[in-house]
Amino acid sequence: MGISRYAMLGAFALASLSLPAFSASAEDVTISVWSLDRDIQPAPNLINDFNKLNTGIKVEYRQIQFDDVVSEAMRAYSTGQAPDIIAVDNPEHALFSSRGAFLDLTDMISKSSVVKPENYFPGPLASVTWDGKFYGIPKATNTIALYYNKDMFKAKGLDPSKPPQTWDELVKAARKLTDPAANVYGLTFSAKANEEGTFQFLPWAQMAGGGYDAINSDGAVKALDIWKTLIDEKLASPDTLTRGQWDSTGTFNSGNAAMAISGPWELDRMIQEAKFDWGVALLPVPEVGAERSSAMGDFNWAVFASTEHPVEAFKVLEYFVSQDNRMFKDFGQLPARSDIAIPPTGEPLKDAALKVFLEQLKYAKPRGPHPEWPKISKAIQDAIQAALTGQLSSKEALDQAAEKIKAVLG
Amino acid sequence: MKRFLSSVTDGSGFDIGLVLLPLAFLFVMSGLPLVYNVVMSFQEVDMFSLGSFARPFVGLKNYIDLFSQPETRPILLNTAIFVSASIAGQFLIGFGLALFFWVNFPGASWLRGLFLVSWVMPGLVVGAIWNWILSGDFGVLNFLLRETGAISGNIFWRSDPNYSLWAVIIANIWLGTSFNMILLSVGLSGIPKDLYEAAELDGANAFQRFWTITLPMMRSTIGAIIALGLIFTLQQFDLFAAITSGGPNNTSNVTQYWAWDLSFRQYDFAKGATISVIMIVFVMFASVVYVRSTRHEVRG
Repeated sequence: MGISRYAMLGAFALASLSLPAFSASAEDVTISVWSLDRDIQPAPNLINDFNKLNTGIKVEYRQIQFDDVVSEAMRAYSTGQAPDIIAVDNPEHALFSSRGAFLDLTDMISKSSVVKPENYFPGPLASVTWDGKFYGIPKATNTIALYYNKDMFKAKGLDPSKPPQTWDELVKAARKLTDPAANVYGLTFSAKANEEGTFQFLPWAQMAGGGYDAINSDGAVKALDIWKTLIDEKLASPDTLTRGQWDSTGTFNSGNAAMAISGPWELDRMIQEAKFDWGVALLPVPEVGAERSSAMGDFNWAVFASTEHPVEAFKVLEYFVSQDNRMFKDFGQLPARSDIAIPPTGEPLKDAALKVFLEQLKYAKPRGPHPEWPKISKAIQDAIQAALTGQLSSKEALDQAAEKIKAVLG
Repeated sequence: MKRFLSSVTDGSGFDIGLVLLPLAFLFVMSGLPLVYNVVMSFQEVDMFSLGSFARPFVGLKNYIDLFSQPETRPILLNTAIFVSASIAGQFLIGFGLALFFWVNFPGASWLRGLFLVSWVMPGLVVGAIWNWILSGDFGVLNFLLRETGAISGNIFWRSDPNYSLWAVIIANIWLGTSFNMILLSVGLSGIPKDLYEAAELDGANAFQRFWTITLPMMRSTIGAIIALGLIFTLQQFDLFAAITSGGPNNTSNVTQYWAWDLSFRQYDFAKGATISVIMIVFVMFASVVYVRSTRHEVRG
């Protein structure tokens, strides 16, 4: 017993002595990166590759959980322990940039030969912009569109090559496709009381000329009325109010919903699970020729203002950006750039779907950007739920939301 | 000095030391955060001032703001309903089961042990399972009710404002019943058997024995269990997160979930702290009941 304890102590002493010897040489700059990417996702792999290049910059990676990103970052920043680089969800970006917590990268980007703003989709780019300056670089992006079950379209006498283009067509198709006897709803989406609800509703409001700063406009009221019709006529499951996008699209995959509104993150699971022919269409618009819009998701890179090595940190970001063409091939994520073509996957359903999503991305709009986005989002969620449960009319609910949002916007 | 030392090693100083140590521990681990929380409820807090103590004081502003929000009253009412219905359900079913197993038929103690499985399960797991059971379109509960003819159409437990709070209450009763049962079983086994024998000789029937012996003898256990129940149900968070997320439209929202939502979803830490302070008042009340009802247990 005594011996083994001494042996342990000895091992400890040895280890602590030899650790510095193994770590990077003295002149190396260490850059710390936080993101939520797991081992099969971009950040840790890109960092490994970067470290192999021996550029004199050593990157350390730490994975944080989705729910902790903002609170962890806040805590770290306010106690002076912030990393050099972080990946944040795009609606949270403005919270940091408006308070000067993120570094203004505008000058470095204008001098960079790798990061070029004109290469990015407008939505993601807007989410890193605050007051006309760039406080980050879009990491990846996603959006939502309409999935539809072609077999069910055929069975109900609808043309599978002509998915609904307008809201009215969508409701009509949903009425035709809904079949309570067979446990089939016409449509599935998410009106959950969290960010997902806002994510799904805001595009509808924007297509009709509304937006978070005009949430009680006539178009937004009409959008919510359509949602209410879908729920009231049981064209979508009442559980739409408490179900997230992943679960609701699950019912589409199992053949219990004929159409689904969701994003490209569903593709892999759908290809495995869905035993029918399906397709993807752009989100229906209020009427033919109306402005298109869609939601925009995913994370942005940013450099904390407290970094001691802004130049090196930017170099690391430039490396990440230079690898954007691997984003889809290696990690299944869509780069936020319009100049990168998505290579064919050899899976015809998936390739067709990706084409639609890339088209849809052109119209994707960020949520905000606004530093108090969570409060704005909460007001919208409350309005959606109040209207859909019949406690208020769409107009009353959205008026209430507009009131709350006005208080936030000041 | 020597007397002091000897009193520490063997005497009243030692006793005081024994008390001080846990007290210091309690103060650091529970007292300070509690005070910090109360202070925070009178301050203006945002994410960037989280790390410092010197934040602007705003008096009662957080409290006034909170009570002028339209959702505050329904949420407080929901909390009251949730707590009282959960405790009532857990206690009545738990007491019934405890009495049942007290009969001591073959395998009784074994079965009683099995009931504890529900108490051991993490709340999020229980929540996820109840989430499926309560699902509107394909839920097991709806299936059972439909097959037995109790309902004709599906009830959307999670999404119908009339049922959403009850959906969580049902799950919470299931979760807490076994804990009530075990504590009550312990209380029951502490009642001397000769009391019952004497009562039986005097001709008391089962109901009279229950009413005049079991209940009075169990008073302190019951007081303790209801106080603990109040604390546990006010802590219940996982089930809300897993089943309804407080929706739809706050109809199943309760203070504990709301406090989290405000603090960590909307980053309004001051309001989150304010709600916690209101909850502390209720928990204090429960603690007093708990301490009073278990006080006589300290013997010698």
